[in-house]
Amino acid sequence: MSTAAVGDPLVDLLLESLTRRKATGQVVQPGDAGRAAARWMADAGVARAVLAGDPLVDRIGLADALRREGIDVLTWPTGLGKRESMGLEGPIDVCGVTVPARAVAERGTVVLEASAGHGRGLDVTSRHHVALLPADRIVRTLGEALALTYADGRAAPSAVSLVSGPSRSSDIEKISTLGAHGALTEHVVIIR
Amino acid sequence: MSTRRRRADGGVAYLDVQGTLRERTVDALRDRTLRGNLDTAATSWGESRDAMREGYGLDDMRERAREIRRSNIRNLPALLAEMQANVREAGGTVVRAADGAEACRYITGLARARGVKVVAKSKSMATEEIKLNEALQDAGIEVVETDLGEWILQLANEHPSHIIAPAVHLNREQVAALFREEAGTDEVPDDREGLVAHARVRLREKFAEAGIGVSGVNLGVASTGTVCVVENEGNARLVTSQPRIHVAVMGMERVVADWDEAAHILQVLPMAAIGQDAANYVNLITGPRREGESDGPEEFHLVIIDGGRGALRGTEFEEALSCIRCGACLYSCPMWRSVGGQAYGSPYSGPIGAVITPLLEGPSSPASRDLPFMSSLCGACGEACPVGIPLQDLLVRARARSSSPATRASGLAFRAWSRLWRRPGTYRAWMAGWRLMLRARGKDGWATDLPGPGAGWTQVRDMPTKWPPRR
Repeated sequence: MSTAAVGDPLVDLLLESLTRRKATGQVVQPGDAGRAAARWMADAGVARAVLAGDPLVDRIGLADALRREGIDVLTWPTGLGKRESMGLEGPIDVCGVTVPARAVAERGTVVLEASAGHGRGLDVTSRHHVALLPADRIVRTLGEALALTYADGRAAPSAVSLVSGPSRSSDIEKISTLGAHGALTEHVVIIR
Repeated sequence: MSTRRRRADGGVAYLDVQGTLRERTVDALRDRTLRGNLDTAATSWGESRDAMREGYGLDDMRERAREIRRSNIRNLPALLAEMQANVREAGGTVVRAADGAEACRYITGLARARGVKVVAKSKSMATEEIKLNEALQDAGIEVVETDLGEWILQLANEHPSHIIAPAVHLNREQVAALFREEAGTDEVPDDREGLVAHARVRLREKFAEAGIGVSGVNLGVASTGTVCVVENEGNARLVTSQPRIHVAVMGMERVVADWDEAAHILQVLPMAAIGQDAANYVNLITGPRREGESDGPEEFHLVIIDGGRGALRGTEFEEALSCIRCGACLYSCPMWRSVGGQAYGSPYSGPIGAVITPLLEGPSSPASRDLPFMSSLCGACGEACPVGIPLQDLLVRARARSSSPATRASGLAFRAWSRLWRRPGTYRAWMAGWRLMLRARGKDGWATDLPGPGAGWTQVRDMPTKWPPRR
């Protein structure tokens, strides 16, 4: 498992931007992705993972890897009641696992598109957020990413979220404090 | 809950402000805590902002931003028609409201019709302008502001002080006291992390209860009918995804043509507003949830407000419509930095507020007539504006618009004074007389109480009787 960038300028730039945004990132081979993501969640003290219903999640065997770490696994849509899906009941240390449609290297942004398998609230209702990102989905600029998301002839998704780092508020004394409403931590697993 | 009153005439300025603009300014200047808090905020903004200018060429990005916004305003009717058609195509409802009262009627009517008891809001200047909270509360509906700063102010029963950083005038101790009062317990931490975590849990409870989420709109993208809601906390995503109904309230000038333009403005906005190269969350919403999706609102309503904006197109104030509400002109303004936003008595404070509040209210409104004079015309606002609005010029025009025309007597007096000072002989005689008067009235080298035209000066500072002055 490689944790350092290996020469792809877009990957390097994304990792650098994620650090600036107070998020973290790592680069892994496809065969190691499930185990790496599960390990990160175990280290962060995650009790339950809510996984996007996406073929990539199955391909990397994430659910099994998480269970081996003793982490409870749910897949979107979870069927949980409103209070539990908002973290008011059940375990507090929940991690939303997303599969971004794209990422913006310059800004450290992941682009999440809502769909049947990918809820709008998946990352933001959870305390932690892990994004599983195939390296070939990284583009340099926000303009390129949005041009792809809203390309002519493609139906605009009902909701798109550009996420650039953990939730943050500077409303008290203008000093940045993490975990205001959304996730306190964000980790991007770059798969190449 | 709020005891703020609502005005029936759809005006912009707050109705519950106390005293005159001058009195509020003097009060604010005397408030040392406020001065300290504003200084901290403006200084930290200035530093991050300088980093953006050096590292990202923000000054170069401004030219394109200005062109985009000017062209948006020129093509406004067509863009709005396209926006409206595309939102409907995506399954949303669009309402055009001529003024705030009409918008409030629609939203309270919707809440009543759907039996909604609690409305969760994310930060929105447009709803502050139309006084939506007061309208909903009058209808017996609970409104909860979920942006941390806005919630703090709701607890304090105060108006926002800044477009982006509403509670910038309060410090940590003041916030902790408000949270203790709201929670009815002393068990509230007083460190920043603890306060933020406390608010997170209290507000999640409200999200779980709310039947309607109300958000503002930073940009509407006409080509796809998408609204962009920019934020850092994540509350706007919760507001737009958790309640069964999402109502987005947009000023009619907020629309851009396509995603190429939107990408540029979405990058300029956080750089100018908070000195960051991206906001943490940008929520791009195209209609309600689709078939098969298991979260997101079942209904999406876009309320587009005119509120006096349309009438500004084609006038000498048209460029004010380019504003993207970043708040940069506030932080850069020496007036705002000294007194904060509350003295202005309007949701829109600082240079842009001093221009648009009286424009949206109409020239005769006593609540905002004097606002264009809250400026030294130093031009820092125009320099800070990321879309190149010549704010200092607009302030001068706004002054001309709100001043009464010169009377015959004042015209004669100025002509006489001008004649006196243009001739060396009479000028010297005037100055000799002035020096004599200063010496007669002054004490220990300083005059503290001058008559006539000098009174305005000595009301706020002393005048030396000789030069250089005695220390």
